[in-house]
Amino acid sequence: MSIIAVEGVTKHYALGTQTVEALRGITFEIQKGEFIAIMGPSGSGKSTLMNIIGCLDSPTHGTYFLNNQEVSTLEGDELAGIRNKEIGFVFQNFHLLARNTALDNVMLPLKYAGVEKAEQLARAKAALSQVGLEDRMDHQPSELSGGQQQRVAIARALVNNPSILFADEPTGNLDSQTGHDVMQLFHNLHAAGQTIILITHENEVAEEAQRTIFIKDGLIESDSTKEVA
Amino acid sequence: MILQESISTAVDAIRANLMRSLLTTIAIVIGTASVIAMVGIGSSAQRAIDDSITNLSARTLTVYPSRGRGSQTVNASPLVIKDADALIKDQEIKWRITPEIRGSKTLKFGNESISISVIGVRENYLSIQGYEVEEGLFLTERDDLARKRIAIIGSSVGTELKTSSKALIGKDIDLGGVTFKVIGMMKSEGSSGWSNPDEQIYIPLLTAADRLFGRQIVDSIRVEVPNTYSPEEAMISIERVLRREHDIGPGEENNFRINDWSQFTDLQKQATAIFSALIIGIAGISLLVGGIGVMNIMLVSVTERTREIGLRKALGATHQAILLQFLIEAVTLCIIGGVLGVVLGSGIYLLISIWQDWVFTIPFSAIFGSVTFSACVGLFFGIWPARKAARLEPAVALRYE
Ligand SMILES: Nc1ncnc2c1ncn2[C@@H]1O[C@H](COP(=O)(O)OP(=O)(O)OP(=O)(O)O)[C@@H](O)[C@H]1O
Ligand SMILES: [Mg+2]
Repeated sequence: MSIIAVEGVTKHYALGTQTVEALRGITFEIQKGEFIAIMGPSGSGKSTLMNIIGCLDSPTHGTYFLNNQEVSTLEGDELAGIRNKEIGFVFQNFHLLARNTALDNVMLPLKYAGVEKAEQLARAKAALSQVGLEDRMDHQPSELSGGQQQRVAIARALVNNPSILFADEPTGNLDSQTGHDVMQLFHNLHAAGQTIILITHENEVAEEAQRTIFIKDGLIESDSTKEVA
Repeated sequence: MILQESISTAVDAIRANLMRSLLTTIAIVIGTASVIAMVGIGSSAQRAIDDSITNLSARTLTVYPSRGRGSQTVNASPLVIKDADALIKDQEIKWRITPEIRGSKTLKFGNESISISVIGVRENYLSIQGYEVEEGLFLTERDDLARKRIAIIGSSVGTELKTSSKALIGKDIDLGGVTFKVIGMMKSEGSSGWSNPDEQIYIPLLTAADRLFGRQIVDSIRVEVPNTYSPEEAMISIERVLRREHDIGPGEENNFRINDWSQFTDLQKQATAIFSALIIGIAGISLLVGGIGVMNIMLVSVTERTREIGLRKALGATHQAILLQFLIEAVTLCIIGGVLGVVLGSGIYLLISIWQDWVFTIPFSAIFGSVTFSACVGLFFGIWPARKAARLEPAVALRYE
């Protein structure tokens, strides 16, 4: 049973009189537990695709089933609810709240989920331990290194036990060593059964995934799965 | 849960831009401060007026002769001492009466000579006016009947004669060629606008009539009415007596007029009302300006925090959660302004009440009301920015640079 099923998805942006066709008909399926890299040149539509399968945006045409529920027709608060329960995001520039501690940042999705305070704390602490930051919980983002900030962001993405973890250029702002550490973390999560979708420019990073979807000009150019050695 | 989170987020956001937030609230502070100070000052002033009215324990009416009209000669039918005697005799109302004979005379003492306002009055003038003697004595009924040449001077008469009023007590002075002995001096009362009692000199009524001015015509008659009677009842009684004395037939007009001092309190109340309206106007405008200021700063805040809003939405914040967050921020900002305004307004009122020797009381309803009103201003002016924030598309907001 596929966790994500996208069929004929297009996304058009109106720019004045012109229409930008960012996605021109994308079809694929993703199974639970897969580790996928989405690659492609700049402007090919990777982030647009992530916004749609991440329920941040709706497609212009086509259907999208997430956990067998059609979400392409949903909007507003319904999508907010799905993002909150099913999806975890990791962004290139971390997107942490600057004036909140690591713990508060990780608790944020739980607050919007209406989880009890005590449970919020327990789960946020557990998520921070999972990414190896149990001793940095009370630090604000400015007191953390880039790699640590990204790990806080990963903890925040995981805290709601999402079906899918999305990461858009998660290592883009990190040096290669911390980048490796973060990739190692993704491997560990994958090994523990987490479905992960990773958007990247770097071949090296894409190499680490089981399956690579290559996008160009809003269309899938190739979709290849590595033979497990 | 969401509410609690929204409040702490709002407080955080205000703290992060503390200076900007406080400057934004200034107009709200001024608005609520003027309301609080005004309500306090207004109630204290009202209390002071009420106290002074009840302190007098009675109301004073003043009877004046009518001014002659048209071809009639001035003072065609003057008021005379006999009219006052008739009023004294008529005891339907237990009123107290003093006529006043006023005139300007030259006062000489030593080498000094000044022009001074002299009033001839009866012994009860002191209590009717609520004046007090600072030193020495006031005149008595015996002094009046004996037409004694004695005088009580206002507190600043001495200074005008290049000595002190106290030093004059017991001394002889020359008033319009007649020698008077100073037997007392009055407490300072302060100028009442058109006349200054401190610069006057008081002598017995009959002395004034028979020895100084040589006339029975009085300038006015003061009638102190016990407060068990309304001024209207008293006026009707005065009219009855004086119309009889003046032989005024039915249907003819009075040739005197009665001045009710309550008109002045009415005037004062009117002035206070106009003053309050003005302050309320200022407060209203300040709160409006304050509200627009808050709206402006909230719009700036929404723009600055577009990416934060995008992130919160990506993490599952609903339309309502974002709306609430920014509304609460605007309301909190206004409540802070309102509370600061209450503190400032109370401070101003406290200083004034110490200075004026007033009782300091601010009704709780005024504090509660003005803070609540500030909150409503925040709610009203916060709606637009908050809606703007809540309507942001997450994908677009996350991309915002
Ligand atoms: N909100 C928008 N309005 C108009 N055009 C847009 C919008 N978002 C994306 N586009 C256009 O859609 C196309 C795909 O953009 P997208 O951000 O998905 O590319 P990308 O593959 O993520 O590129 P990069 O690797 O540089 O991040 C681009 O041509 C872009 O200009
Ligand atoms: Mg992109």
